[in-house]
Amino acid sequence: MTHRPSIFLRSLSTPLILILVLVAFLALATFMNSGPFNQVVIDGLVKVTLVVGLYVFIGNSGVLSFGHIGFTCLGAYATAWLTIPPLMKKMALPGLPEFILEAKLPYGLGIGFGALFAGAFALVVGKILMRLSGIAASIATFAMLAVINTVYSNWERVTGATSSVVGIPIVRVVWPYCLAAVVSIVIAHLYAISRSGLALRAARDEAIAASASGVDIGRERLIAFVISAVITGMGGALSAHSVGVVTPDTFYLNLTFICLSMLVVGGMNSLSGAVMGVVVLSVIIQVLRQFEKGVSLGGTVVSIPNGLQEIAIGIVMVVILIARPTGLTRNQEIVWQGWPFKRVSAATEP
Amino acid sequence: MIANALTSVDISVSFEGLKALSAVNIAITRGAVTGLIGPNGAGKTTLVNVLTGFQTATQGHVAMDRVVLDSAPAHRIRHLGIARTFQSGRLFSDLPVLDNLAVTGVGLGLSRGDSEARAAAMLDWMGISPLADRIAGSLPYTDERRVAIARALMLEPKYLLLDEPAAGMSAAEGDDLVALIRRIVAEIGCGVLLIEHNIGMVLRICDHIYVLDSGEIIEDGTPASIRTSEKVRHAYMGTQADAEGEIL
Ligand SMILES: Nc1ncnc2c1ncn2[C@@H]1O[C@H](COP(=O)(O)OP(=O)(O)OP(=O)(O)O)[C@@H](O)[C@H]1O
Ligand SMILES: [Mg+2]
Repeated sequence: MTHRPSIFLRSLSTPLILILVLVAFLALATFMNSGPFNQVVIDGLVKVTLVVGLYVFIGNSGVLSFGHIGFTCLGAYATAWLTIPPLMKKMALPGLPEFILEAKLPYGLGIGFGALFAGAFALVVGKILMRLSGIAASIATFAMLAVINTVYSNWERVTGATSSVVGIPIVRVVWPYCLAAVVSIVIAHLYAISRSGLALRAARDEAIAASASGVDIGRERLIAFVISAVITGMGGALSAHSVGVVTPDTFYLNLTFICLSMLVVGGMNSLSGAVMGVVVLSVIIQVLRQFEKGVSLGGTVVSIPNGLQEIAIGIVMVVILIARPTGLTRNQEIVWQGWPFKRVSAATEP
Repeated sequence: MIANALTSVDISVSFEGLKALSAVNIAITRGAVTGLIGPNGAGKTTLVNVLTGFQTATQGHVAMDRVVLDSAPAHRIRHLGIARTFQSGRLFSDLPVLDNLAVTGVGLGLSRGDSEARAAAMLDWMGISPLADRIAGSLPYTDERRVAIARALMLEPKYLLLDEPAAGMSAAEGDDLVALIRRIVAEIGCGVLLIEHNIGMVLRICDHIYVLDSGEIIEDGTPASIRTSEKVRHAYMGTQADAEGEIL
């Protein structure tokens, strides 16, 4: 028997490479020092957090979830409740409990509580949802999203219903978003190489054989569901601080569509796919946005009608999926294959 | 109920009116090979499914070493030490062979590192260490079969239920399988249930054989008595085993 290095060392290159990519964007933003460009990078980093969160559940379990943007909503409103100045809160959201009305937490804590709130909610809901599998589970997650959206759109005194909740401290520096994205990559990677991650991927391949191997599939799914809710909740809180305003419809079908597209285009069974999908689609979206505003090409201004963006993303997605049904990364992890790591087959790592 | 045996007691299973098993009693003894034969659709796989928690019986119960397993889910059954293979392989096709085995380790509560060590040791025991890093989905058929058995043997189960492990194997590969099953009994001490259409193999290796036909045990006994049984000959008349000219 040859000695094999631990799974931690064997797989270390993947998160390191992904983190380097994000840090490169942080460096670029710092170097460019332009407000609009910062906002673009911040947007991308928030998406990385959201899509990596989605990957933790969808990628490992193979169960498509349409509901995770609900956790994003929970995280965003939670940090809004905790960080908006008390005076504004008493006016806009008088139904909040006294201790929350009085609270004025720094944004970092708000984001942390937002993530935990989403995780706690997922633990309760997941106990029921994770009994389902396949398409039934997917539909149930969609129902969860609809319920969350309906509650937040109507609970006037606590969520402000459909009107915008303003006064959330805006964070314009890039590094906190980069840090959060890095943290989510580290968590996602540690989960993927954990016992639970391995068991869940086995169940994704062959649920029956996984049960016969002693895997309690419902339990492992619940673990992944909660962890992914924590990450997507954190992403929601970050997105609230990136613009300073939340409405329930920010966290509904559009965002669900974009995030799932990013995951699918990148390759939904790999962490590298999650990150790569965000990078590639974000770039395409930026280009299309420029064209919606109008781009001057050789003297004539070329512009595309508003709304074409979504259609174009849909087309791009279909084209990529026809060419590569398993996504840009072919569901494999990006690995460093030279020094100081031994050559490893990408597929041997999660 | 028998100590040191996995028993089905009056197990009946119906699928929407179709009676797949009727009051089936069998005992799989530790340290011995028990055979289960019968024509296609006799209910053999259904019985394994009942014994491993994948199918709830309409009547009767399963007991292991005198303890009744009260409709425990499949993963709990595996914790108790009852392992199985599947007629269709069912490897984790996206995972490397080593991880295919390690899943049982983590499923039964070991750390990932310990699971990998146990998996490597098991591959070594089976003599298939070179397969460790191969993706299971890319294996040729016979390797797939061996990996499936290795996976079931992880952490030394008390009972091992093999559902047609030799299907599609050549005669030489069949001989290897016979040797392997003997080693499993001798070195791990499992009670093995062998479901096989290759009657020659069953007669050669089993200590006790049950014959299932249309959901009923029509005969059981030693290989010598099964070989000469009129009922068994009758049940197999015109079926696949007969057509293949197997000894009966
Ligand atoms: N889930 C199910 N639903 C309905 N009928 C079933 C189900 N599983 C098995 N059956 C039926 O029960 C009977 C016994 O099937 P089983 O698979 O146990 O036979 P078997 O002895 O394993 O056959 P083979 O040698 O072909 O593997 C068959 O008539 C089959 O069609
Ligand atoms: Mg069968």
